[in-house]
Amino acid sequence: MFGPRLDGENGVALVPSTLEHFKLRLGWLLQPETDRFWGPRFGEMTEEKLEERFKKTADDETQVEWTIAYHDEPVGFTGVFDIDWVRRDAESGIFIGRHDLFGRGIASEAVRLRTGFAWRELRLHRVHNWIALANRGSRRANEKSGYKQMGVYRKSFFRSGEWYDEWLGEAYPHTFPEQR
Amino acid sequence: MALGGTIRGKKTTLRLPAEADLDSYNRWMADMRVRRAHRVWHEPAMPATWKERFKETAKDKMGVLWSIDGDGRLVGFAAGSFWSMTQLGFTLRQLVIDPDQWRKGYGFDAALALHRYLFDYLDLPRVGAEVRADNVAALRIGERLGYVEYARGHEVHYRDGGYVDEIQLFMGKEAWQERWSAEREYPPLAADAAR
Repeated sequence: MFGPRLDGENGVALVPSTLEHFKLRLGWLLQPETDRFWGPRFGEMTEEKLEERFKKTADDETQVEWTIAYHDEPVGFTGVFDIDWVRRDAESGIFIGRHDLFGRGIASEAVRLRTGFAWRELRLHRVHNWIALANRGSRRANEKSGYKQMGVYRKSFFRSGEWYDEWLGEAYPHTFPEQR
Repeated sequence: MALGGTIRGKKTTLRLPAEADLDSYNRWMADMRVRRAHRVWHEPAMPATWKERFKETAKDKMGVLWSIDGDGRLVGFAAGSFWSMTQLGFTLRQLVIDPDQWRKGYGFDAALALHRYLFDYLDLPRVGAEVRADNVAALRIGERLGYVEYARGHEVHYRDGGYVDEIQLFMGKEAWQERWSAEREYPPLAADAAR
């Protein structure tokens, strides 16, 4: 399912994704600038498949996904997925597709909005994630919203001649800055 | 999830699951001893639902399910999934032994045979598992096999009125070979076998 509109600071908002937003991923997901810490840069990236994925996401009751808007322009996506409604645990993720906007605090604000929603509206108990250890921007964005390291997975993936480790983080309502 | 073929251990055999096994799967998933130790692999359900799940399982490309026989009868099942085309590895998600058959060594024997298959037959570089922190038997099996902890999730599972941590384990092929290099399914090829 898609989450409701959440307005944050500095022009950042989380908005329910539309099919048009999903189609923007064709241009976002397969670029060297955005993929260093992401997927293998290939996939079933056709408009038809994205439409299928859009419908699947909308129907899926174990995830809540948003498009990240920056001054009302879609620039990425984020969400919590694999929600276990009994354990009240979920995994989180974020992707900024507009690499020309890196470094403006968009991810930090999006993570803050997403994490606050997880505690206040979804009543989750825990959210966890995997982030490339070298992706300091993403790690920092999550740490600001209360994520703490629970482990490091060595040599998780290989890029450009070297191994990349992954940082495993977890957050709880009591680690969220506004509730500390 | 695909359906796995025969892997022979000393006491156990992992084998192709059959519809006739589903009644036992259902019984185990409804057993609180199993539920305290593991995540369930589907909630208890009607036979027709299990049959549907079984069909879906057979079609899944990234997962594999095996039934486990011990001393000639069904005693458990194992399920896990391969990672991706570009990241070779396998996560063992379930290794369930019938609680009435616990403490007979079936779990370790099946796990050893399965890991031999993963490392020695499929040539995977790494295998992972997630275990509840109070599942002493599973942790002991993991330690004997050569797993090491790389992360601990706090308060991940809820049962018996409280939370329990989850330990994430990892084993690389080097660790397997150091400890289990003699554990082979086939004898070495004869020197003149390829002539």
